[in-house]
Amino acid sequence: MYSRSNNPARHHVNWAIRLMVLPALLSGAPAHADKLPELPKLSEIRLPKLPEMPKLPHNLQIHGFASQGWLKSTDNNVFGQSSSSSGSFDFREIGLNASMRPLSNLQFSVQGLSRTAGEGSPGNIRLDYGFIDYTFSNQENSQFGIRLGRMKNPLGFYNDTRDVPFTRPSILLPQSIYFDRTRKLAIAADGAHLYGEYRSDYGDVSFQAGIVRPLVQGAEAEAAVFNGSQPPGHLTPNMSYVGRVNYELDGGRVRFGISATQLNMGYSPGVGDPLQAGAVHFIPLVFSAQYNAERWSLTSEYAIRFLEYKNFGPALPNLDFAGESYYFQGVYRFTPEWEGIIRYDALFTDGDDHSGKTWAANDAIQMAKRGLPGRPAHSRFAKDITVGLRWNITPQFMLRAEYHRVNGTGWLSTLDNPNPYATVQHWDLFSILGSYRF
Amino acid sequence: MTIKIKIRRLILFVCLLFSMTPAIAIAGATEPYEVITHPGINEKSLPRSALRAIFGMRLHTWPDGTAVKVFVMPDDAPLHAVFSKEKLNVFPYQLRTAWDRLVFSGTGQAPETVASQEEMLAKVASTPGAIGYLTKSRMDGRVNVLQIK
Repeated sequence: MYSRSNNPARHHVNWAIRLMVLPALLSGAPAHADKLPELPKLSEIRLPKLPEMPKLPHNLQIHGFASQGWLKSTDNNVFGQSSSSSGSFDFREIGLNASMRPLSNLQFSVQGLSRTAGEGSPGNIRLDYGFIDYTFSNQENSQFGIRLGRMKNPLGFYNDTRDVPFTRPSILLPQSIYFDRTRKLAIAADGAHLYGEYRSDYGDVSFQAGIVRPLVQGAEAEAAVFNGSQPPGHLTPNMSYVGRVNYELDGGRVRFGISATQLNMGYSPGVGDPLQAGAVHFIPLVFSAQYNAERWSLTSEYAIRFLEYKNFGPALPNLDFAGESYYFQGVYRFTPEWEGIIRYDALFTDGDDHSGKTWAANDAIQMAKRGLPGRPAHSRFAKDITVGLRWNITPQFMLRAEYHRVNGTGWLSTLDNPNPYATVQHWDLFSILGSYRF
Repeated sequence: MTIKIKIRRLILFVCLLFSMTPAIAIAGATEPYEVITHPGINEKSLPRSALRAIFGMRLHTWPDGTAVKVFVMPDDAPLHAVFSKEKLNVFPYQLRTAWDRLVFSGTGQAPETVASQEEMLAKVASTPGAIGYLTKSRMDGRVNVLQIK
């Protein structure tokens, strides 16, 4: 497996561990310090002073972020040609948002986003969210309200701000749950949300529930739904449901969440399409838990995803299966500036076929009819061990580095890896990311 | 073989992490301070959960309907850390995470950061609905003190 002694990955791991331990040693010494121990400030490095934002009118806030990543993999492509000798710089996230609160119970929010991430996200500017939020009840211990427009889907701990590097625990979110492959479907939708919160000494309970129309336009959504193939027709949005309940104890020291979504899509066949006007139902259920101490945070999420394909005709027989994912993640704050992360993340496209062998045996029969060999079983799972480091150079600038050792190709984008036979089961990924925000 | 070595390294790594824990002590050794409000606010005391909701930017109005305006010191200011831990019982990074979630999902706004205690006093004294915190020695009659139950 990943511990073969002649494996070059070991050296990466060793290097990454040393990288993480070094600041720990450096900063662990001053035991009597009044404040948190700090690394030398590198005061000779002067970051460019950015111009101060002009004074904004009452209750208008403008925030934004920009990030650039570099990815290098031994095999397989993540966000561009990462397996090429120079790696891939094809990973950029730029966002700008504005919010205004003309009344204490009314807020307007809008965010534009440009995301470049390989073939699936070419960097076009799009509306990430834009909605009206009206709080119709705001009491000392509770609030209830409604949002109308395009909202982020409440899914797990990270979906709401998944494209904002500062809010992520790592450069790549745990891909088992936050697939970049199906991000467009999962990220946001148009419709109406109700939300509410009740606060007491026994913790805070909050919920969001909505009726929405999923965003299904674009090759990425179709490639995700049809496992890499691009049929001539297109997906159509049907009424869908999103919901999440969170419980936070002691101001968020302990957090629990349950999210349930039912995304419903139709299919409108194209000219000469082998597929008929079928329907797809995607129902992810996510259970989330987190413990936050001063120095460390432990997070785990478990997801089960029901996926159903119906009435596409003989070219795509009815399918009904449940995928399974989970991760365990530990974050340690050496100082307010330095943070380390370690994570184990596992994805199984079909929870009843963890090894993918049953699927592969069937696929071999299907592909043989077209004179092709079966696709590899390792495309049906991915087990990813991640270690990473975050350096908050200033509150506005952040640098990150991380290393992934992955067994399986289950979450790889089929657009960046069009040839399934060329994918490699055991592979390494290294990434660096710099990010600025205001 | 190599698995064993790896596990040993991992254990060593984890031990190193936890061995540092006693070295953490954001001192409580700052000057006495108070939660302060604009003089127009009639509230004399608030439960901790309400104070947490206000600084978590989830409670937007005072009982009389005035809009709440929250002022904080920078994340790394010692007074901010002490206030967060003692009055709210949360760590500054948790507040930052919560504010970021609101700001970048559009479901809320961030508090206004002031650069100094002088600015804190000036802003809270002059902004209707304002709430903040300040060391006692810098306070004057221009702001009210809020007790936390």
